[in-house]
Amino acid sequence: MTSASRAHLTRRRLLAAGASLGLGAVAAPYVARAEEPVLNITGWGGKWGDVMSTEIGPAFEKEFKCKLRTDTALPFLPKLQASSRAAPIYDVLHTNSNEQWAAAEMGLVEPKVDPKLVPNIADVYPYAASDKIVGISIFTSAIGLGMRTDKGYGPITSWKELWDAKYNGVRGGYVIPVNSLGQAFVMMCGTLFGKGQTDLDAAYAALEKLKPIKLVDFTGAMEKLFLSGEVGLGVIHDSGIYRYDGQNQPIDFVTPSEGVLSLEQVLTITPGSKMKELANAYLNYMLRPEVQKRLAETVWYSPANKKVKLEAKYDAKLLTTPEKVSKLIQVDWKWYNAQKDAIDSRINRIFRA
Amino acid sequence: MATSVTPSPTLARPELAGASRSTDQVIAHRSAPGRTGRAIYLAANIAILVFLLAPIAIVFVFALNPTPFIQFPPVGVSLRWFEKFFSARDFMHALVFSLEVAVLTTMAATVLGASAALAIARGNIPGSRIIVATMLSPLMLPAILTGLALFQAYVLLDVGRPVWGLVAGHTLVTIPYVVRTTLAVLHNFDTRLEEAAQNLGASPTRTFFEVTLPLVKPGVLAGGIFAFIVSFDQFPVSLFLVSPGNETLPITLFNYLKFDLDGTIGAASVISILLAVLVVIALDRTVGLRSTVKL
Repeated sequence: MTSASRAHLTRRRLLAAGASLGLGAVAAPYVARAEEPVLNITGWGGKWGDVMSTEIGPAFEKEFKCKLRTDTALPFLPKLQASSRAAPIYDVLHTNSNEQWAAAEMGLVEPKVDPKLVPNIADVYPYAASDKIVGISIFTSAIGLGMRTDKGYGPITSWKELWDAKYNGVRGGYVIPVNSLGQAFVMMCGTLFGKGQTDLDAAYAALEKLKPIKLVDFTGAMEKLFLSGEVGLGVIHDSGIYRYDGQNQPIDFVTPSEGVLSLEQVLTITPGSKMKELANAYLNYMLRPEVQKRLAETVWYSPANKKVKLEAKYDAKLLTTPEKVSKLIQVDWKWYNAQKDAIDSRINRIFRA
Repeated sequence: MATSVTPSPTLARPELAGASRSTDQVIAHRSAPGRTGRAIYLAANIAILVFLLAPIAIVFVFALNPTPFIQFPPVGVSLRWFEKFFSARDFMHALVFSLEVAVLTTMAATVLGASAALAIARGNIPGSRIIVATMLSPLMLPAILTGLALFQAYVLLDVGRPVWGLVAGHTLVTIPYVVRTTLAVLHNFDTRLEEAAQNLGASPTRTFFEVTLPLVKPGVLAGGIFAFIVSFDQFPVSLFLVSPGNETLPITLFNYLKFDLDGTIGAASVISILLAVLVVIALDRTVGLRSTVKL
């Protein structure tokens, strides 16, 4: 570095640049604040976030002359809990069904959506507005089994094959207290080996026999374990496997004969929202066939709207017909959330050992 | 060039040679455990270095490995994850925003922390120990609770989640570093230097800027560097305080991690490490860090 170029970076200039950057950062939101109404929502990052921020969101803003402010920074529920009921931090909460039920139990979200205000509800599959759903489900994924296709495992048809000793060392699951797929799987264990979803004793016994098992927090981590071959057979949602379609990866999704668990993407409206009309419009917009198609083909989620026509390769794999949708098993999250502390405690003991 | 060996005067005297030999034997006898001690000391230091640097090495390997999952040994070298990081709008926005917040935080924490330390050390304030303990308390409280408490305070004040609120949160958890390092310097401060300046006619302001400040500069700078790094990497406080469109890099990485666990995370970590090094270099070039802080 020459002395001339070094002279450009003086203490005064560095401090001035820092102050300018900082003041700019503080002032920018106020300078940019517009008069248009703002709808505060939550949403996911990743590809979902990309397509929402570049296409779906701007189109909504243009049509409804508003601003969509999407919080993608987890955790949503504690933030909503900490904010005022009369002026909640979000107008629309988008999260999975288990959290929606917890929010509904605390009175943070409205339990049902009025079909008169969201007319597209008339076109959704029954599961999307069933009594197992708070608000309205706009998409679902199928929780089943993921497998490596290059290990010579042969055809897998049942959930129970996960307990086969030949998968010791390559079996994959979740840290159940923090992962909704893992929690849904607990109830699947009750169904498979006991009297039903709520048969916790049967579920605990089954989980005990599932060891050794590799446990992860997030589905993203499970995907990588499949790709690296560390897991050969494990619990995962179909989107987590199908998203690698066309990348020549030796992995596949298995729909067990007993059915697949439903992992719904659910929208609810907060009772204290000052933007109810806009919030209902947003729910209706997200159920539009063209919006559903665009998102479904981006993130491999099965659309809730029956009228959506997907491209052939998506249509072949996603739950797009009444027959395929009938394979979905919905979880009783209200019941599960009520037992969650006891379940977490017991399961922590099982896997800690 | 020819060299000659001059016999040692000690060895040239036979009566002393025996004594010298026995002394050498004693030294040799004593130095054997000394050598072992040095070897253990060296091994322990190497082990600590490996312990400290191994995670960074793994991050570099992960960032440069072309596979979309952590694989060891790596199958090649690729810059694809860096390309993905720099071409992702969210990551770049988060990187710039994190830098802005860290710069603001550093300025606020340095000014407030150094002033507080000076007041505590020099002000003869009653209960100064309690004040010091209070000022260091943000380090003892779990940062996630600090974030949640500030979030609730902002909600009560109905100010939403402003950028200044995030900076205030970061400042709160970084002030203790500046206070601690400045107090350490002030502990050995010779007040006679200030008295001498004032006896020579310097005003209190001039004494402060020309005597006090240069002498406490090492502590203030060290605290400032800590403040920058802690703010730039801050996660738990930011978790509740970031607002839509204004997410810091650690928060963006966490959200990304939920859906994609690929080398982009490694690339972002490498960038963070390099940025921290760059900050130290920039400070060295501008305020003469090398001459004031022993790193």
